[in-house]
Amino acid sequence: MTDLLPGARWGRATGRPLADVDPGDWLASATALRDAGHDYFDLLTAVDEQEAGFDVVVHLWSVPGRTSVLLRTRVPRAEPRLDSLAGVFKGAAWHERQAAEMFGIDFHGHPGLDPLLLPDGFDGAPLRKDFVLASRVVRPWPGAPEPGQSSAEAAVGRRKTLPPGVPAPGTWGSP
Amino acid sequence: MGEPVSVVDGLALLRAAAAARYPDVQPELPARSRGVIALFEENCTVCMLCARECPAWCIHLESHKEPVPPTHEGGRPRTRNVLDRFAIDFALCLYCGICVEVCPFDALFWSPEFAYAATDPADLVHERDRLREWMWTVPAPPPWDEGAGPAPEEPG
Ligand code: SF4
Ligand code: SF4
Repeated sequence: MTDLLPGARWGRATGRPLADVDPGDWLASATALRDAGHDYFDLLTAVDEQEAGFDVVVHLWSVPGRTSVLLRTRVPRAEPRLDSLAGVFKGAAWHERQAAEMFGIDFHGHPGLDPLLLPDGFDGAPLRKDFVLASRVVRPWPGAPEPGQSSAEAAVGRRKTLPPGVPAPGTWGSP
Repeated sequence: MGEPVSVVDGLALLRAAAAARYPDVQPELPARSRGVIALFEENCTVCMLCARECPAWCIHLESHKEPVPPTHEGGRPRTRNVLDRFAIDFALCLYCGICVEVCPFDALFWSPEFAYAATDPADLVHERDRLREWMWTVPAPPPWDEGAGPAPEEPG
């Protein structure tokens, strides 16, 4: 399989082969893997790697072969664009709509990148790490009290335990 | 007799009939059903792990410290944490089970009880007494599935 994708860097992740390709090779790589038997599209998703850009990952299966493969690329943060796989796997269209609304990635050649889950008029890409989740700002974190403390004591206490995955106030949000 | 019914339609009708018996007939739920989270308060040390790990921020714990007098002459007085409030907001809970998994003291359990719908989301915040009552609906763990591997905590 490794010689299918010229220029790909192969590794392993979550117990299966992982191919990293340049964004320009994205469409050709997905097509080559499909034509070589990994023709069951499982998922497409993205990861915000902050300054490094966005990783876009697809997971493909071969049902008769019972094998799977991950294909990954990285698009720059300043201009997150990638060829749509909707012409290769019809099911990718939904996943790309979701990646588009959640991460603000543009999928070139997609038949209609309308928001899939977000309400009309929603502003911003909520799965970007610099997106401020309003519900995380207006509510106090229930994990703040130390054992043996009430939440009122925690609110005035000097030592603050911060919620995992939520940066400290002042260090996040769009500048 | 009316129109002939295809096999698929017939199965759907049968299934619909089975569902329609609820609430007169209670459904038989698998032992690991995630219906509601029960609290075995006696085991809870107020370590705060569940509240901190909960991705929905829906576990609310309050506690205070109480002095424990020395157990023997010349011993040191200690303190212990006493639970004042334990509430889960099931309007926010996403039933992920992280709190049940993370509790190091076996104080949280899944119960298959599901019939606690409410018309006001505020009524889905359940406090320690209710959470403890659900404890008595927690089923015994089911036997291992055929061919199951050894549990990670079991030696060898
Ligand atoms: S099941 Fe998940 S969301 Fe619900 S209380 Fe537990 S950790 Fe929180
Ligand atoms: S993790 Fe368990 S012991 Fe710790 S506070 Fe939660 S329920 Fe209590």
